[in-house]
Amino acid sequence: MQQLDVVIIGAGPAGLAAAIQCRENDLDVVVLDEFPKVGGRLLGQLHQEPSGEWWNGIEESKALQTKAESLNTDIRLGYSVYHIEKLEKQFVVHTKQQKFVTNNVLIATGAAESPAPIPGWTLPGVMSIGAAQVMTNVHRVKVGEKGIVVGVNVLSAAIARELQLAGVDLHSMALPTRNVVSEDQANPRLVMERLSRIAHLAPSKFIQFGSRFAKWKWVQDLVVQYYPKNGIKMWGMPIYLNKAIKQINGTDKVESVTMVDVTMHGDIIGNSEEEIPVDFVCIAGGLYPLAELAGVVGCPFIYSEELGGHVPVHNEKMETPVAGIYVAGNITGIESSKVAREQGKVAGLAIVIKEKNTSEITGKLQTAISEVKATRDAASIQFHPHIPEGRAKVSAAYDDLVKAQEVEKELEYV
Amino acid sequence: MKDTIVCRCEEVTLQELEETARKYNSSARELKLLTRAGMGFCGGRTCRQAVDKVLTDITGEDPTNELPLKVAPPVRPLSLTDLGGLAKDE
Ligand SMILES: Cc1cc2nc3c(=O)[nH]c(=O)nc-3n(C[C@H](O)[C@H](O)[C@H](O)COP(=O)(O)OP(=O)(O)OC[C@H]3O[C@@H](n4cnc5c(N)ncnc54)[C@H](O)[C@@H]3O)c2cc1C
Ligand code: FES
Repeated sequence: MQQLDVVIIGAGPAGLAAAIQCRENDLDVVVLDEFPKVGGRLLGQLHQEPSGEWWNGIEESKALQTKAESLNTDIRLGYSVYHIEKLEKQFVVHTKQQKFVTNNVLIATGAAESPAPIPGWTLPGVMSIGAAQVMTNVHRVKVGEKGIVVGVNVLSAAIARELQLAGVDLHSMALPTRNVVSEDQANPRLVMERLSRIAHLAPSKFIQFGSRFAKWKWVQDLVVQYYPKNGIKMWGMPIYLNKAIKQINGTDKVESVTMVDVTMHGDIIGNSEEEIPVDFVCIAGGLYPLAELAGVVGCPFIYSEELGGHVPVHNEKMETPVAGIYVAGNITGIESSKVAREQGKVAGLAIVIKEKNTSEITGKLQTAISEVKATRDAASIQFHPHIPEGRAKVSAAYDDLVKAQEVEKELEYV
Repeated sequence: MKDTIVCRCEEVTLQELEETARKYNSSARELKLLTRAGMGFCGGRTCRQAVDKVLTDITGEDPTNELPLKVAPPVRPLSLTDLGGLAKDE
């Protein structure tokens, strides 16, 4: 059986960037991804930066792939990892096709979408916003004739724009009505606060007005309170923070949605029901780190709302307390693809240092770590306003755990 | 108003979760086992976040640092042949 230095799970920006570092230093690497294409979530991305430049995910992904291939990286597509088994010093990575024995595993599985259940959401024609993005930008399939987006956040606004650019007709974007699951997304005040983070993407005076005073809560209250009845238009499409979708109607497939007016707290205003004919609905419930495999191999977790949910505890070098298991990219918290790529680089270098037992590239590793922070600060897409706080929490948790482990070891010697 | 399905694989509704919790005064884990919410074909990938949120709300248990209901392999649907270890080793 071939003995590998590292198995990288996920061929998104994080996994690919790590693979490049490992291959440049001659490690034995296999990259596994269950999708038939290389690139992860990069593939769907297309947006304009504040500088006016376009971010084209397909091109970014091609650049990484070309680089990895020029280094003879073994990338296996259509390989679903369903288990990571821990041996004494090594790991066995299980896929249907094959098992891989390796010294290290980098889990770079990215993020998944949270659902926002509303009545009727199981009808054909209802899809997650990410599915609409993949169909439109990756598979080039038109998702429908006229649709509506339920859930207003950074991701859904960016993807709605992409759908528009592809010529897909959207009625509007609106909130879901409140239930225990969608509480946050149904709260206009909270949505406004988070939306102010993408103000530069929105050529709307209203949102820009709100965002400039992001720190003054009362101004945002005013913006929400006096929200224009016809919505704020982004690229000509109304965004309603004062209307919500109560249910999706249809017999065999989506035929319409029921829209209601809501107060600034998200309460439904009586007698405001309106039926809007659409043939598809995109649900945007937000993203969460896809960390199942880290759970299976015994990584400890920490809950951070700022980072999007439960993330595996790790340090700045992307090491987890389980020696040999590394994490990078959105599994460590929901951030832009540029941050994921920089994190991948860090993880790759950290693995090289461990495997080669060399300190030659420690300088390079330190630079890469600072790059992650610089990229984070400059990111045009921020999924949560308090990401650095979330990051600090995770680092502190790592230090605590490692200290506890050391104490335990000392006690064993006694 | 129509029911709100939370777990699509097992067709468990929000109303059902709430009623079951009230009737048996159950913990998050018990509620999952009683209703099968989150235990369908997709392994909870689709509904896990929603189910956890409902359970937190109903039972008042905080989102702790532990994953709400431990993840167990296989994390993807698998045939018995594959599980039987017939996949070849490299
Ligand atoms: C729907 C959606 C849209 C997004 N849009 C944007 C955007 O417009 N701009 C932006 O900056 N960020 C966006 N993001 C955030 C995005 O996740 C990051 O930008 C970036 O792609 C994360 O990189 P990554 O390498 O961590 O993960 P990903 O790019 O998600 O790659 C992870 C890879 O791991 C694979 N994988 C997962 N589990 C397994 C397994 N068990 N076995 C084998 N392979 C597995 C997946 O198939 C995937 O290819 C979006 C995320 C999502 C989910
Ligand atoms: S949707 Fe609940 S298990 Fe699949």
